[in-house]
Amino acid sequence: MSLLEVENLRTHFISRDIDNQIRVAQALNDVSFTLEAGKVLGFVGETGAGKSLTAQSICGLLRPPARIVGGSVFFDGQDLREMPEDDLNAIRGDQIAMVVQNPRTSLDPLTRIGDQLARIHQTHSGGPISTSRERALEMMEAVGIPDPTNRAKSWPHELSGGMAQRVLIAMALMNNPKLLIADEPTTGLDVTVQAQILDLLKGLTERFGMAMIVITHDLGIVAHYSDEIAVMFAGTIVEAGPVVDVFNNPQHPYTQSLIASTPEKLQIGGSAKLGGQPPDLYNLPSGCPLRTRCSFAQEICATPPPRRQINDTHYSVCHFSGKSPANGSAS
Amino acid sequence: MTSPVLNVSNLVKRFPTGRSGVFVNAVNGVDLSIAPGETLGMVGESGSGKSTIGRAVLRLTEPTEGKITFDSRDITAIPERQMRPLRRDMQMVFQDPWSALNPRMRIGDLIAEPMKLHLDLSKSERENKTIDLANRVHLRPEFLRRHSADLSGGQLQRVCIARAIATNPKLIVLDEPTSSLDLSVRAEILDLLTEIREQTSAAMLFISHDLGTVKLISDRIVVLYLGSVVESARTEELFRNPAHPYSQSLLSAHLPADPNAKLSRHILKGEVPSPINLPSGCTFRTRCPVAKDFCEREVPKPHQIGTSGHEANCLRIPDGGNRITPSEVA
Amino acid sequence: MAETVSSDFEGDATSKPAFSLKNRLIGIARVSPTMAAGILIILAFGVMALFAEFLMPHDPVSAYHDRILQPPSAEHWFGTDGNGMDVFSRVIYGAKFGFGIAIPAVLLSIIIGVPVGLIAGYRGGLLDEVLMRFFDGLRVFPSIILALAVVAATGQSLLNVVLVLGFLDSPVFARVVRSEVLALRSSVFVESAKAAGNPTWRILFVHLLPNAVQGAMAQTAVRAAWAVRISATLAFLGVGIQAPTPEWGAMIRQGAEFMVTGQWWVALYPGIALILLVFGLNLFGDGLQDLTDPRRRAAK
Repeated sequence: MSLLEVENLRTHFISRDIDNQIRVAQALNDVSFTLEAGKVLGFVGETGAGKSLTAQSICGLLRPPARIVGGSVFFDGQDLREMPEDDLNAIRGDQIAMVVQNPRTSLDPLTRIGDQLARIHQTHSGGPISTSRERALEMMEAVGIPDPTNRAKSWPHELSGGMAQRVLIAMALMNNPKLLIADEPTTGLDVTVQAQILDLLKGLTERFGMAMIVITHDLGIVAHYSDEIAVMFAGTIVEAGPVVDVFNNPQHPYTQSLIASTPEKLQIGGSAKLGGQPPDLYNLPSGCPLRTRCSFAQEICATPPPRRQINDTHYSVCHFSGKSPANGSAS
Repeated sequence: MTSPVLNVSNLVKRFPTGRSGVFVNAVNGVDLSIAPGETLGMVGESGSGKSTIGRAVLRLTEPTEGKITFDSRDITAIPERQMRPLRRDMQMVFQDPWSALNPRMRIGDLIAEPMKLHLDLSKSERENKTIDLANRVHLRPEFLRRHSADLSGGQLQRVCIARAIATNPKLIVLDEPTSSLDLSVRAEILDLLTEIREQTSAAMLFISHDLGTVKLISDRIVVLYLGSVVESARTEELFRNPAHPYSQSLLSAHLPADPNAKLSRHILKGEVPSPINLPSGCTFRTRCPVAKDFCEREVPKPHQIGTSGHEANCLRIPDGGNRITPSEVA
Repeated sequence: MAETVSSDFEGDATSKPAFSLKNRLIGIARVSPTMAAGILIILAFGVMALFAEFLMPHDPVSAYHDRILQPPSAEHWFGTDGNGMDVFSRVIYGAKFGFGIAIPAVLLSIIIGVPVGLIAGYRGGLLDEVLMRFFDGLRVFPSIILALAVVAATGQSLLNVVLVLGFLDSPVFARVVRSEVLALRSSVFVESAKAAGNPTWRILFVHLLPNAVQGAMAQTAVRAAWAVRISATLAFLGVGIQAPTPEWGAMIRQGAEFMVTGQWWVALYPGIALILLVFGLNLFGDGLQDLTDPRRRAAK
């Protein structure tokens, strides 16, 4: 049994507009994946592809008008979707922890950081407050905050962006989570600081044996810090597998174009680009959602594309996967 | 050599903090020069002053000290009224296309606006030129009647670029034009900018925090740290032979999107110091792995490296200690 | 007001489902039932004002000398007043005065207040300080007393009431627009307009105004309610509009003296009409402000 098993997860935004018309945005459409303990899974895709929404759906953090309309989420054998809110609260921040993109807005501005760290430990683990305080100092040390004893007394506004991100990671680690979800953990940080944070996260998964989901739009991060990759487009995973397999042998046209668009692969004026507008989630095309932008699209693409296994662990959701349309078989 | 389109010497910009006598030292004595048709990449992290320089060059923020010469004319202190006609020849593209366009105006009017302001064209001439511009930035003409809320980020950035090239300017300042866009859209915009650069003779000042992006489009690159230029070289030269320890670590911090690539990185300690209290001597010394005692006392001056115009401001270049040894990471 | 400069690119290319008033009203009623109620009340009074001639059973100013102070009956639904005029017809006709004063007064407030707020907010500094302090001065003075004094001094006419109300209320619009402009003037699109070479007047009226005016528009209904209320109060105090003009405030004044002798209908019906219209305008205005201010919307 895997640590996290997500199957056919569907999340839609259902609302009524000012003209009393019901509008449905199909934001997640049958997202399925599994994650083993101790592994790092990287989610990539463009804005609106559903990366963050997948994480929020797993954790039960959706707010109206977003709603899970189908599928299941099993964490450590427990069905998170069927779980009462109180039980879910006991798991969030304890066994599943999250690190979000804007560290500064995620900290309570009126509480010293040491107290914030101790508080989250108290909430889930209880015990004497002195134990929580000690644990806070330990975790601050572990995430590379110099002079933890003094730093614990500082206020969130006194921290730099990188420091605030470290505090948030320390907070996520307070209760020894089995799963850490890092949503764009380094966006907005300088590259030289980004490297420090990523090395830290990678080191922590190895040290504590926890699983991690990294959500990012930076393929470089996934290439070097993940074991597995899931490429999302229009609310579905279009290709997934071990990082090395997917990067060496990308099968889905979208994955191919993403890799071709990275600065070191990019050739000015080159052809392997998928531009165009992001798909309208209120009005997705039939069949393959990419077909309106895909240069290999043919008539068959109006029917739902099959999931084709490239090998045991690597699959791609495209009619032409494994047939390599990119290599010019204009049949 | 022809005279540069833009020449900036000893540019200083200090922002008041609200407390008397305390300033944010955003830009500290920067020299720049851009030749006609040249693309200069300006790279730096947050707090390096790169955006402030871009805005000061166009007089969108008033420089504290220094001299800005545009097209052989000193524009450092001329009043806005005299500045306005010059804006025909100097345009700007901003980082966030969602907020850079007036949400109440139609796309066509936004593209036509610079022509309306600077060129004496009839309405039909202007309309034709607008459609022409839309074609040049690969924007379908039906978008001209819409508003910015109906367009995607990439399309909006095309609108901003069309606006910027509408009057055939001599200089376009691009402040992180691709960093708020998705990867595949970013590639398209870079393609477009390269195309534009070939079609027009406009010089470009391309500001970015990402060396990989700058590399694709620039003839020459300057690297900024805490409001000062630390290194300046032709693009290939900088990537082949970065001389300043900061440039070296910036290059090594980049993560190629290839899991097979071996990373040889040198990760800098700590973070960028506050621009309110700049470190004495060399401002990079607090994070520099090869800093010596004298880096604290002496302010580095540009050192010529070779004959290609490569300059780096590091005190360790004379003794050869400017090379940092990257640590191997899997 | 929002489109001060003509567009080279008219027409809307976006495909949206055809607009349906019924669906829009149902939509509004679902989000804010009070706003929908306000709209219905205002529409009802609007119909009264526009079609008063067809709705009135009697001439509102013709006195039936034989039917003075008659209680409500089948012939005179709301009774007759001290001159023998039909109260029902007068209440209906009074809607004309309600809108006839409120609409031009609010328009005048906008015409004065919006440009002042625009310039004060964009320029800042001493000009802003002087303009805003002057307007603050206008606000701290009890408006009813100021209005009384000014109308009394300039002469009793409907026009003077409109001018005074319009002027006195302009600071509200100046304030709202100024605070919007303060937030907008450092926004990227304004900088982008400056970088493109826009002169100041174009930045103010083409770029800032259409984006800053929304908050002011949301105020209009609440300010119209204020104008209706203050103009009626002035008439009640005998300033501006005189009896026997069928204006609600003047009617209440006239009816007040009969209250003690038991003829309640003369004052009651115009009073109810006044309360309903002010109430309706305020409901609608609150709804407008909720729709345009995300902070207020979130609080719901």
